[in-house]
Amino acid sequence: MTRVVEVPQQFDDRSFDQFARAVDDPADRRLLFDAHATQWASPYGLIGLLAAGQAAAERGPERPLLTIPADRDVAHYWGRAGFFEYATEWFEMHGKVPRIPAAHSSDVLLEITPVRGTDDVHSVVGVIQERSAAMLSGELGLEAAATMGFAMALSEACQNIVEHAGTAGWVAVQAYHWRRRLGRRVVVIAVADAGVGFRRSLEATQAGRFGDRWGDATALEAALFQGASRFRDPGRGQGLGGIARYVNRWEGKLSVRSGTARIAIVPTWDDEKPLTEGLPAFPGSQVLMIIPAQQAE
Amino acid sequence: MRGMRIDLKLILQRAVSGLYGDLVTRPTGKAVRDGVEEALADLDGEQTAVIDFSAVRCLDFSCADEIVGKLLLHHGRARYFLLHGVTVAHCDAIEHVLGRHRLAVVARDRDGTLRVLGPVDDTARRAFSALTDGGPAGPEEIAIQLALPPDAAREALEELRLQRLVQQSADRYVPLTA
Repeated sequence: MTRVVEVPQQFDDRSFDQFARAVDDPADRRLLFDAHATQWASPYGLIGLLAAGQAAAERGPERPLLTIPADRDVAHYWGRAGFFEYATEWFEMHGKVPRIPAAHSSDVLLEITPVRGTDDVHSVVGVIQERSAAMLSGELGLEAAATMGFAMALSEACQNIVEHAGTAGWVAVQAYHWRRRLGRRVVVIAVADAGVGFRRSLEATQAGRFGDRWGDATALEAALFQGASRFRDPGRGQGLGGIARYVNRWEGKLSVRSGTARIAIVPTWDDEKPLTEGLPAFPGSQVLMIIPAQQAE
Repeated sequence: MRGMRIDLKLILQRAVSGLYGDLVTRPTGKAVRDGVEEALADLDGEQTAVIDFSAVRCLDFSCADEIVGKLLLHHGRARYFLLHGVTVAHCDAIEHVLGRHRLAVVARDRDGTLRVLGPVDDTARRAFSALTDGGPAGPEEIAIQLALPPDAAREALEELRLQRLVQQSADRYVPLTA
């Protein structure tokens, strides 16, 4: 028996909960991720789809199915973004997979890249500095300190996977011109994994402090605002707080979804709630950072 | 007494990989700190360890904590440290870490300006600037320069000395030198 999970036509952080709701079903059925009608997917959507595929593949005896976008341009974009390179590991593909190598461009600053260990973090940080410095300082008008801080924030987000997920994950970075949503250019970092999530990662060291209140939302609050870590070393747990400081300083947005909750540092140009509970469960954690172009004073 | 320069990029390449140019990730930070601690063994206790960031591109919080935070935690009461060639981005990461540990350190940026990173009383910070601008001085001179009561100036200078942010020679306080 196969159950169909529709991939949203516009698949990004704003339609992600709809996708998670469709995935979230304890029934032991093979999933078919149907992306044939998908018109557009952000890096957040694409790596979220990979995480869903990994979770489904690890849960059942068979890999889930994936119907690739019918629109040739959309499928080609997924190919250039590096999606199919990793999707074949977790999905049984249906449809003609374009034979296009992953490639960066002026907009795809970092194609979908696996994060499995510290070597990958070094590689991601090195690549992003080479590719994005000119764009960040030129088109986004960020100061040199901000472009270096961007690499630092990216490093910390990737390390969260290495140190806490218990499995590998992915990162992707892309630039957009958000004409309608913001009227400015933005750089979007998406980092996701299908691992244990914040609640389980922090449970052994932090749950006792919260008693009955312990859950996905309290785990996210503890990690972001209190620097909670699963390690007892007092120096640990500074990464997310540091990322938050960075995005605050540059009027950016940070959103971290894990399990059934999402926490966000919300800039004035966005209307997301700072904390959302009771979301459809989704494995691992999904981090989104958005840094907008700075406005001339 | 002159300090000894410890080049972090060299240690990074020797201890971790010749391909890396960034101080990122915990394991990297720990390996680099181990390399710094080996170098510290050759230093006189009164000599300043000049940790050279000049060739370092990115420093993340994990490495800032493993290298600067833990070096100060383990050796900060017995040694003088000066971070050399830091950028604004390096300082951001280091300040974040030092705030958490309630520690402070002297840093020289790439323009040559000396400043204290980490939480330090405002009067002590002003006294530090007076010393770096005007050179070695005693409490009375600092009191006059900053229009402070002599006891307050002495207290500020002593705070700097106890945190090993300045040295003391006879009755004068001396900024750390590279």
